[in-house]
Amino acid sequence: MSIDNMDKPLIQVQNLGKKFGDMEVLKDISVDIYKGDVVCVIGPSGSGKSTFLRCLNRLEEPSGGHILFEGADIVDKKTDIDKHRQKMGMVFQQFNLFPHMTILKNLTIAPVKLQGKSEKEAKEQALKLLHKVGLADRADSYPNQLSGGQKQRIAIVRSLCMNPDVMLFDEPTSALDPEMVGEVLTVMRELADEKMTMVVVTHEMGFAREVATRVMFMDGGYFLEEAEPGEFFANPKNDRLKLFLSKVL
Amino acid sequence: MWEKLRDDFYQNFIVDDRWKYITDGLQNTLKITFFAVLIGILLGFLVAVIRSTYENTHKLKVLNWICGVYLTIIRGTPVVVQLMIMYFVIFSFHDPGQVFTAVVAFGINSGAYVAEIFRSGISSIEKGQFEAGRSLGFNYAQTMWFIIMPQAFKNVVPTLANEFIVLLKETSVAGYIGLQDLTKGGDIIKSRTYSAFMPLIAVAVIYLVMVMMFSQLVRALERRLQRSEH
Ligand SMILES: Nc1ncnc2c1ncn2[C@@H]1O[C@H](COP(=O)(O)OP(=O)(O)O)[C@@H](O)[C@H]1O
Ligand SMILES: [Mg+2]
Repeated sequence: MSIDNMDKPLIQVQNLGKKFGDMEVLKDISVDIYKGDVVCVIGPSGSGKSTFLRCLNRLEEPSGGHILFEGADIVDKKTDIDKHRQKMGMVFQQFNLFPHMTILKNLTIAPVKLQGKSEKEAKEQALKLLHKVGLADRADSYPNQLSGGQKQRIAIVRSLCMNPDVMLFDEPTSALDPEMVGEVLTVMRELADEKMTMVVVTHEMGFAREVATRVMFMDGGYFLEEAEPGEFFANPKNDRLKLFLSKVL
Repeated sequence: MWEKLRDDFYQNFIVDDRWKYITDGLQNTLKITFFAVLIGILLGFLVAVIRSTYENTHKLKVLNWICGVYLTIIRGTPVVVQLMIMYFVIFSFHDPGQVFTAVVAFGINSGAYVAEIFRSGISSIEKGQFEAGRSLGFNYAQTMWFIIMPQAFKNVVPTLANEFIVLLKETSVAGYIGLQDLTKGGDIIKSRTYSAFMPLIAVAVIYLVMVMMFSQLVRALERRLQRSEH
């Protein structure tokens, strides 16, 4: 990889806009996300954080702007979005594991069907990753037999099995009982340590402070402030961010 | 009393091998039901996929419209009228045989009901399942096939089974196009012997036993499907 390539952002969001009917949820979003970045997005509920994240892999159809990812414009209808989604893992608040498949099947179906891996190859990789998140003994269980924290760790592994270049997290711990938040954050922290590029919508300020390389504050359809976490939490400049932080910290 | 019943039985089933009306009729009933179910599932599946795809993506507009017309007509008219139109109007120039006609008519009829069953099954699956599939890189069809359909199918097994029980019983109007099914078989015996009790009760019992056996089968299948989910 040339120096030039390394300096180029992995994801370039340019003037992204999103409307639901008449309601303009994202107004003019531009942001560059670099390889190894851990970008935490915080902001009040309903401010458009999920919509932003879901535009990145076009689960929501953007109304305008560009999202450049690995040589393609995600916004462009002609882009083969299915191909690019294979490189963008996504973790949902509600886990969304496939209830009719065993854990192992949940983890291997996409690599086998989409990447042409053999069952054996996919299984080996899945077991290795399961082991890493401490759930190797649950390979033959069904999702409904697991706790919320376990389900979310499996959901993360399911995305990782596709060897993505970026992982998108939409409030991955918000649906969890408090005692299970830690185990999921630990897995995410390990991912960050391994230099996975991550975009994380979260209310976990501790995680943002300790793990993020950058924190962004979204409100009213804009990113109103962006800084590295030390600066972000110690010296917030925007008034609405100050107000928000005073409420959540 | 026993004398009378025995004599009745003899008259209705043994004389002239009249039991053959029942067994031949039963064969036709089973044949029609079996193949109509196949057509119904195939057609219903197709229509459900088209309708769901249109609901989700607004693609396949023309096909969706055609499906809408199909559902409206089939669900809005009696099956016996559809059967007669099929035989006396659509196939009036070239008779492909009564059993074939009945298979087509009942298949098309059943497809309309199965389509709605499948569609409700599909829309009962959480949106998150679809999004999880798409976010992994599965295209629309793959997501439907690997993730949505298996869950939807599991959910609709009881309703679907019920629909087939209804279909089995509905084939009893096949006599309207001169087809000798189980019901018609009993009817013919009745008109030969001038006694209604034996042949009609026999016909009723045979339907009942088939329905009960089928219900058992479905319950076993349901249990198996449930076990794989907990
Ligand atoms: N599919 C949708 N249709 C209409 N409005 C939506 C849809 N999804 C989100 N919204 C609206 O967009 C706004 C932003 O939502 P969201 O991105 O989920 O916010 P956040 O994740 O920050 O809580 C909200 O007002 C929400 O009601
Ligand atoms: Mg949200």
